[in-house]
Amino acid sequence: MATHMLVQFPLLLLAGALLHASRSTSGDARFASADEPAWNRLGIAGLVFAACVLALGMIPRLLDLALVDARVEAAKIAALLAAGAALHASWRRAGLVVQGFFLGNVLPMTAVVGMLYQDAPARLCNGYRLDEQVLAGTLLVALAVALALGWLVAAGIRMHRAENIGVHGPGVALPSTCASAPRLAAFTAGGPHHEERSWPEDASTTTSRKP
Amino acid sequence: MLRTALASCLAVVLAWAAAAWLTHDFRVFTAEGARRIEVREHPVKAPAVQVAGPGVDDVALPLLLEEHGGATIVDFVYTRCVSVCAALGSGFQQLQGRIAAGEAAGAAAGNAARNAPREAPREAPREAPDYAPVRLLSVSFDPAHDDIAALARYAGELHADPDIWRFVTVRDAGALDSLLRAFRVVVIPDGFAGYEHNAALLVVDADARLVRAFDYDQLEEALHFARSLPRSAKTARATRQ
Repeated sequence: MATHMLVQFPLLLLAGALLHASRSTSGDARFASADEPAWNRLGIAGLVFAACVLALGMIPRLLDLALVDARVEAAKIAALLAAGAALHASWRRAGLVVQGFFLGNVLPMTAVVGMLYQDAPARLCNGYRLDEQVLAGTLLVALAVALALGWLVAAGIRMHRAENIGVHGPGVALPSTCASAPRLAAFTAGGPHHEERSWPEDASTTTSRKP
Repeated sequence: MLRTALASCLAVVLAWAAAAWLTHDFRVFTAEGARRIEVREHPVKAPAVQVAGPGVDDVALPLLLEEHGGATIVDFVYTRCVSVCAALGSGFQQLQGRIAAGEAAGAAAGNAARNAPREAPREAPREAPDYAPVRLLSVSFDPAHDDIAALARYAGELHADPDIWRFVTVRDAGALDSLLRAFRVVVIPDGFAGYEHNAALLVVDADARLVRAFDYDQLEEALHFARSLPRSAKTARATRQ
C-alpha cells in the first residue's frame, strides 16, 4: 500500500512532469514569459486539476479498484501522468501565493488521510493488510510535513533573493499578485534565512543574475 | 482569467463526478462498503460450483443453498485462521444457538396451536413462530489444507450441529476463484503463511442469491434480516399441503 501510494504515485507524477518537460524544450524561459496560456493563468487551473487528482488518489476504494479493474488502473495512471504534467506546466507560473494555497490544501489533506489510515481500526482496503495501511498512513504524514518544510525553506530562499535583487528579477518570477510575499518573508525569516547563508551556490546565482 | 476559472471549474466538476462514482454518491469510501451497497442493490446468484464437505457429497452450491427453502448465512473461512475467522466461528456458534432456540419456540407454539385450536391465544407469542428456516454455511477458501477431514475436525471443535451449520470447500481452484469473485471475497496472504480476507456475514436467500452482506459483529441484524426473507415458493407450498 505504501509502495502504491508513495512510490508508484510520485513516480507517475514525475513521469508526467518529464513528459511535459520534454515536449516544451524551451524550458524555463517559456514559463517566465508573459504569453502564458489564458486557460492556465498563474498555473491555477493546472494546480486545481492536480489537487483534484491527488484527492481522488487518496480514496481507499480507488486503491482497491486499481488492483482488480484494469480500466480503473488505466484511468488512474493517465490521471496521475496528466497531473504530473499539469504540475510541471503550472508550478513556476504559480508564484508563492498560489503555490502556498495549493500546498495549504493538498498537504493538510494528505496528513489527515495519513492519520485516518493510521487510526482506522479495520482495514480500509481489501487488497492490503492492516500493518501496510498503518505504514502508508505514517509515511503520508511524514511526506506532508517534509514537503511543507521543504517548500517553506525554498520560498524563504526565493523571497530573500528577490529582496536582495530589489526587483523581481528574471527566473524569480514573483507575480505581481504576490502582494503578501514580503510579510510572508518576514514571517518565515527565522529558519530559512539562516540556512540560506550556508549555501554558497545561492550567492553565486544571485550575483550572476544581478543586472 | 475567465478561461482559467472555467478550466478550474471543469477540473473540479470532473473530479466531483469521478468521486461520486467512486464513492457511490459519497456513501462509502472503501471497496468493502461499495461491495455491500452493490450486493444490496443487485443480488448475486451463487455460481454453480461443486462443493463438498463433511456430510455434503459433491453438490452444486446453488442446490445446497436452495435445499431447505430458507435463507442461509454464509461466511468464508480457513480452518488454520486464528484472528477474524475465530470471531466468525464464535459468532456462528451464537447464531446456531439462536436458530435452534427460535425453531424450538416456533415448534412449541405450533404444537400449542394445534392442540387447542379454538382457544384464542391470550397473548401474541414473543417471537413470531413461523420463521423461515435459517441455515449456516461456512465455506473454506483454503482447499489445500482444508480437506473433508480437517473441516469435520473444525466443525467438531466449534460444536456445529450438522442440521443447522455445515462446512464445505471448493476443491477446484478455478471454481473457487469464480465463487470468490462472484461474492467479492478478497483473500490476500497475511505474511505468516495465512490469509487476510474481508470477513462478513453473507445472507443468501432461498433462491441462492447473495442479497446482503453484514459486518461479522452484526449477528442480530443478519439473523433478523435472514428470517425476514421469504421462503422459496416450492417449499412454502410443500409445507402448506
